[in-house]
Amino acid sequence: MKVKLWGTRGSIPSPGPETIRYGGNTSCVGVTLSDGSLLALDAGTGIRSLGLALDDEPARLHILLTHLHLDHIQGLVFFAPAFRPQTEIVIWGPASPEASLRDRIARYISAPLSPVEVRELPCDVSFRHCPQSEWEIGPARIRAASVAHRGPTLGYRIDDGDSSLAYIPDHEPALGADLDRLEEDWISGFALAHKASLLIHDGQYSEAEYPEHIGWGHSSIRHTLSFARRTGAERTVLFHHDPLHTDEFLDRLGEDARERWAALGGAPEAVEIGAERAELELPARAPSPAASV
Amino acid sequence: MPFVTQKPLELILARNLMSALSTPAFLVDEGGVLVFYNEAAGLLLGKRFEELGTVGAEEWGSLFGPFGEDGEPIPYDELPLVRAVRDGRPAHAELCIRSTDGASHEVEVSAFPILTPHGSQGAIAVFWPSRANANGARP
Repeated sequence: MKVKLWGTRGSIPSPGPETIRYGGNTSCVGVTLSDGSLLALDAGTGIRSLGLALDDEPARLHILLTHLHLDHIQGLVFFAPAFRPQTEIVIWGPASPEASLRDRIARYISAPLSPVEVRELPCDVSFRHCPQSEWEIGPARIRAASVAHRGPTLGYRIDDGDSSLAYIPDHEPALGADLDRLEEDWISGFALAHKASLLIHDGQYSEAEYPEHIGWGHSSIRHTLSFARRTGAERTVLFHHDPLHTDEFLDRLGEDARERWAALGGAPEAVEIGAERAELELPARAPSPAASV
Repeated sequence: MPFVTQKPLELILARNLMSALSTPAFLVDEGGVLVFYNEAAGLLLGKRFEELGTVGAEEWGSLFGPFGEDGEPIPYDELPLVRAVRDGRPAHAELCIRSTDGASHEVEVSAFPILTPHGSQGAIAVFWPSRANANGARP
């Protein structure tokens, strides 16, 4: 399984000279499975670059949406494959009692917010609510589960062979909970991230910032590392960067995270700040946990 | 690797909320298993949840009474929490519960189901001292 980060920012695109290294595009991760199948995790503005980079465009691709906040769907109408009739796109996302996934996404892909309507997209697009049970895409087993954020929000786990990726970009598992003491089965997202080869997780706030943002649906670095330690994730990528965080700020945040992880008994190199265009290859067999529980 | 199981998010959030309340509260899952009660409920019952742990359906009802005004035990199926899970509707009752030190407490109980797009995940019950008792009208 190969992973490429096409958009690492949260909330709103934040391009500019001060964000050039970690990137300004919002959430999108490309995942190439062992058989070459392509998945896109979220469709923030980063998916535009993913679409442009597809040399050998697959006939069918899957987009797995965690939720429908704008920073996770804004790139859909700028995703080049969506405008090619030979492409089949399957969009997965959370169910809601209020309206179907298609109808909720159509609120964005419709006038006056969009120049095109869903029904006008030339590709063969379908919308599916994620099932509660595991399902398969190509060689991968996919699992989705609700996680603590604002509104119906999913996290995903993708198992392909012996490699596993957990993707939980918007997550506040420590809201009203002590992650260091809570029983495992009471931790939001635990099952998704349990012993994952790679965990891509919300790391929006520094410790100084979090108290002003309790309940906003995002994590502090300390909470993210506590979650990673409790779940036994092998490697953690901090993701969904706050739009106010410059490259220099994120450098310092990364250093702080590595020191904290080392203090927890882990290898510092197992924690990193997600950078746009970074490519990560998951090992066929995961090594032993970096930090014990 | 086999997928580990965990509590539904709605129960996790309910527990997190209950943990922050000073109102005694119980939480059961969709099978009626008592999966949590908060510190305030522990004070009322005389035993912290951490001491007791998860209690199966039909077992927890007899641990603390409960009994009606006539002193007779209330059948498990008629308890507000059980009705809320079974019927998917709120339920209310006045009843007495017995703490581990043998003291009886007259309480009002309101239970409501936790309904999600995927169906019922359980129910929450909150307890208040009965109005009559709180007003000093009864001992």
